[in-house]
Amino acid sequence: MDGLKERIRKAVHNQPQPTVTILSSLLAVEDELGYIPPEAVDEVAGFNRATINDVWAVVSFYPNFRTTPPGQHRVEVCWGPSCHLVGAMPVIAAVLEAVGLPAEGDTPDGRLSLRYNTCLGACAQAPVMSIDHHLIGRITPEQARNRLADYGAGPATE
Amino acid sequence: MPDDITIAIDGVEIKTQPGKMVLDAAVDAGIYIPYLCYHPGMKPFAACRMCVVSVEGGRGYPAACTLPVQDGMRIRSEAQDVNELRRSVMQMLIAEHPNGCLTCHRIDICGPSDVCLRHVSVNDRCVTCPKNERCEFKDTVRYLGMELESPLNYTYKQIPLEVADPFYDRDYNLCIACGRCVRACEEIRGDNAICFTERSGKALVGTSFGSSLLESGCEFCGACIDVCPVGALVERSHKWEKPRTVERTVCPHCPVGCQLNLELNGGGELIRVVPEYNSPANRGQACFKGKFGLEFVNSRERLQQPLIRRDGVLVETSWDEALDYVAGRLADYRGDSFALLASPNGTNEEHYLAQKFSRVAMDSNNVDLTSNLQPELTTALEQTLGHGAATNPLWQLEQAGCILVFNSNLTEDNNVAGVPIKRAVQNGAELVVIDPREVELTRYAHCWLRPAPGTELLLLGGILREVLDQGLENSQWVEAHCEDPATLRYYLRILDLDEIAGITGVSRDGMAEAARRFGGADNAALCYALDNIPPDLARDCVSALVDLALLTGNVGKPGAGIYPMRQGANEQGAWDVGCWANRLPGRGARRNESARRELEELLNCPLPTNPGLGVAATLEAAGTGRVKAMLLVGDSPNLGNGRLGDGLAALQNLDFLVVMDTFLSAPARLAEVVLPRATFAEKDGTYTNLERRVQRIRPVFRPRRGEAQPEQWVFGQLARRLDAPGFEHPSAAAVMDEIAQVVPAYAGLSYARLEAESALVLRSGGLESPKPTQMLYTGREHRGLQWPVAGESGAGTPVLYLDGFPSGKADLIAPQFRAPQDILEAEYPAWFVPGRVLLQRDREMQVEIEADSNLNRIVRDELVELNPADAAAWSVAEGDAVEVQTRQGRLAGLARLDAAIPPGTVAATILFGQLVVDLQNSPEPDPMSRTPGLDILPARVVKRDA
Repeated sequence: MDGLKERIRKAVHNQPQPTVTILSSLLAVEDELGYIPPEAVDEVAGFNRATINDVWAVVSFYPNFRTTPPGQHRVEVCWGPSCHLVGAMPVIAAVLEAVGLPAEGDTPDGRLSLRYNTCLGACAQAPVMSIDHHLIGRITPEQARNRLADYGAGPATE
Repeated sequence: MPDDITIAIDGVEIKTQPGKMVLDAAVDAGIYIPYLCYHPGMKPFAACRMCVVSVEGGRGYPAACTLPVQDGMRIRSEAQDVNELRRSVMQMLIAEHPNGCLTCHRIDICGPSDVCLRHVSVNDRCVTCPKNERCEFKDTVRYLGMELESPLNYTYKQIPLEVADPFYDRDYNLCIACGRCVRACEEIRGDNAICFTERSGKALVGTSFGSSLLESGCEFCGACIDVCPVGALVERSHKWEKPRTVERTVCPHCPVGCQLNLELNGGGELIRVVPEYNSPANRGQACFKGKFGLEFVNSRERLQQPLIRRDGVLVETSWDEALDYVAGRLADYRGDSFALLASPNGTNEEHYLAQKFSRVAMDSNNVDLTSNLQPELTTALEQTLGHGAATNPLWQLEQAGCILVFNSNLTEDNNVAGVPIKRAVQNGAELVVIDPREVELTRYAHCWLRPAPGTELLLLGGILREVLDQGLENSQWVEAHCEDPATLRYYLRILDLDEIAGITGVSRDGMAEAARRFGGADNAALCYALDNIPPDLARDCVSALVDLALLTGNVGKPGAGIYPMRQGANEQGAWDVGCWANRLPGRGARRNESARRELEELLNCPLPTNPGLGVAATLEAAGTGRVKAMLLVGDSPNLGNGRLGDGLAALQNLDFLVVMDTFLSAPARLAEVVLPRATFAEKDGTYTNLERRVQRIRPVFRPRRGEAQPEQWVFGQLARRLDAPGFEHPSAAAVMDEIAQVVPAYAGLSYARLEAESALVLRSGGLESPKPTQMLYTGREHRGLQWPVAGESGAGTPVLYLDGFPSGKADLIAPQFRAPQDILEAEYPAWFVPGRVLLQRDREMQVEIEADSNLNRIVRDELVELNPADAAAWSVAEGDAVEVQTRQGRLAGLARLDAAIPPGTVAATILFGQLVVDLQNSPEPDPMSRTPGLDILPARVVKRDA
């Protein structure tokens, strides 16, 4: 537990940019941990001379912040307009089937977290998905399935 | 006042000032423009778009709450196109709120079990909402004429109800996200205990991670409830009851003097308390005590008949018999063997009669208040400046550039006084707190000095010296207004700052910073109490504080000044009218022969000459048998909490004890005769609050059962039986007339004069227009009068000493700066320093819901903070289970070693939520009047067995 607090403290206190805000502090924590635990709300509030509720208002406002630990690997599928036009939905359907989830979320075994993304910034290579922030362009449903198999996705067999 | 400008709203011309918003101007002028997110006293928010108007010659439909007034502006509000727009905005709002009833034409005649042709489910009906009949939202919907053929599509949000926190019920299914509660908590109270959560369609109000209010920093003041326009936030108690009558009076719990509207049901029971917006002392605010701590007036445990002891048992009797018996017995104890202890929540009139009864009828100067543990609080203030009272109005604290709070736990003792302080800090003022304890305000402090207990006087010396050294003395003003500054300067110059730093444990930098902040501000205010100051240093501490205010030139100007934080609701009044040890009414500090003669002439009767005893001395004398008979009015926590030694044992030693009380309290159980005492809500009179404001309290109802009587009647009856003259006042007003004759500060005061100080408040749009809860009952604004009052028609005096001091110059007293030598005994070798804060970020805790009561309970290990050196000496290691033992009690916790804790000190900071939970669950009828304080006590630390 103290390790977690220490990581939060470092992330919040070692922000390199000149302007530090509640939002930047939260992003630093999210980058470090992948989510915002209650301890981080405390730390960010203290660091920015705000209250925990001020910080919570920011955390809960942005859907990109999560408040529970993510899975080991983070899968994002873009369904922005560009990707949508060239076939994002079949990719999403394939991914959902491969990870065994009805919609975006975390697999029960904690291996994968799936999110839809509205733009991964690589429209020229649409459709795009990313695994642990590595972009994969011009992906087909078949490729998506294969890729995810490498990360242990599939119907829970064990 | 800046130049008036004129604007017209729907052709009605009104005068207003530049800088105001159109909606403010309209509210001031009594013109109603519909609004929901706007609330008087808060910054405009422009979220609900209900106040849209159009400006002739302007574009579009701006919101009136953010539209600055301009000369000659012509506003259209009740125009068809504007109302059409409002109705379409309202459609969006009511789509998020159960609306089947809101838009139904039958709403006014519908009952809870009526057959509903609209098929509105029972849960969604207005008649099943706790806010029905006092719902601002409903009124606004009706005002706009939103009768719809069929209800709009609405889906119940299925948000679980929050019903486990003390005092509040929260149902966010009804929330329209107007944000008033969030802004009240942030802007007005400075607490930020709630926030907006999520966004767009899911946006609502909540707390961090959806925690309970106990964990989110809530002070349970109820400000959010009072601004909520829907049924989302309500008081749990009497939640479903509707008020039949409402009366305004003043809170009896503390000397801030909050005006409260008491809502009564058809049976005459108090069901709710709504703080009054148009009230100068509280401006619509209350605290946990005032908002949730007045229901004791309904209690079934109230005494109904006088009780008299027969064969060792208290049995009911009639007033006549009781009074005859008391008078007969008291006649034997005339003189110094009699003492009267009055309650701090008696009225001015009762205090005056109490001291008169003791002095005239009983020939004894032994009269005091049970709350008067620190009589030094204002004696030095009076001696130096001329009046023993706060120099400035409470809300001028908002204008101070720097505020120093000295040994005062405002949050619990004078809660609403903390509101202007926190607001000032939000607006850029600096806050310096001197207190060994961690209290709510230390969170806001720019500089928090934590002297070792008992060394506060030395610390003040150090700060004063720094004021001199840094050239922060306002020497020109001091030379002109103060007597003998040279002596004080001399005594300050010989102080050794390094030595002071060593003894107090406060660094030289800390002292320098406090001096710089306080002395450097254009106007600085000083609030002080004497919590935990050793009695023999108390007077000098106050002198040092007054010196600090004088040296920096902060007396006799607005936005500055010095505020003694008294404890009881009407302690100021008791001080003024002489219900105080060794103070004759209106004679101030003069205790000499001539003062007594003057008074004898005024009252036309002889007065006792022996010096009187204060409350502490009285109890001591009762213990030794020197005082044999006592009339005790009201229970006091001080009799049982050890602050006055064993007060109850002393009472037991009396020959004859009469207790006037509302309940059969611990002292009443010891009495020979118990007289049922009327509460604040059942009597006529005045309270003087800590800013010298004399305000009327009114009989809200008759005691519902039984024959409780106010003190005025009892003193009159007893005096008649004792053949004492001068108690034939037909009414409280007549007593006030006598006070005005006897007490110079009250000269010119009368009930008629107070009534003339009230004014009709313009009610926007007449009686029917929707209004926020806090303004629901505003018919008249009662401003009261701040003494001294200049003549029969003159105004009161908000700021004292604007034209100099009564004695010409203020008498700078040079105290002997010192700290007590080792007063700790070997048995209890350390100081236990308790603290209480709203929020602790760094502690593990859980909130559970208790199975039998369904209420929240805090589960956590308290931390006992120790200096590592002490811990080593007591062989305590980090994380050990320890117990702090004092003579008054014990506290279990886990040890935490912290080098920042001064050696010889053991600190434990508790959560305010724990106090509120304890008060909510207390079996006592009036727990709020006994809110435990934070006493610093000698203690020892022992390890608990695992």
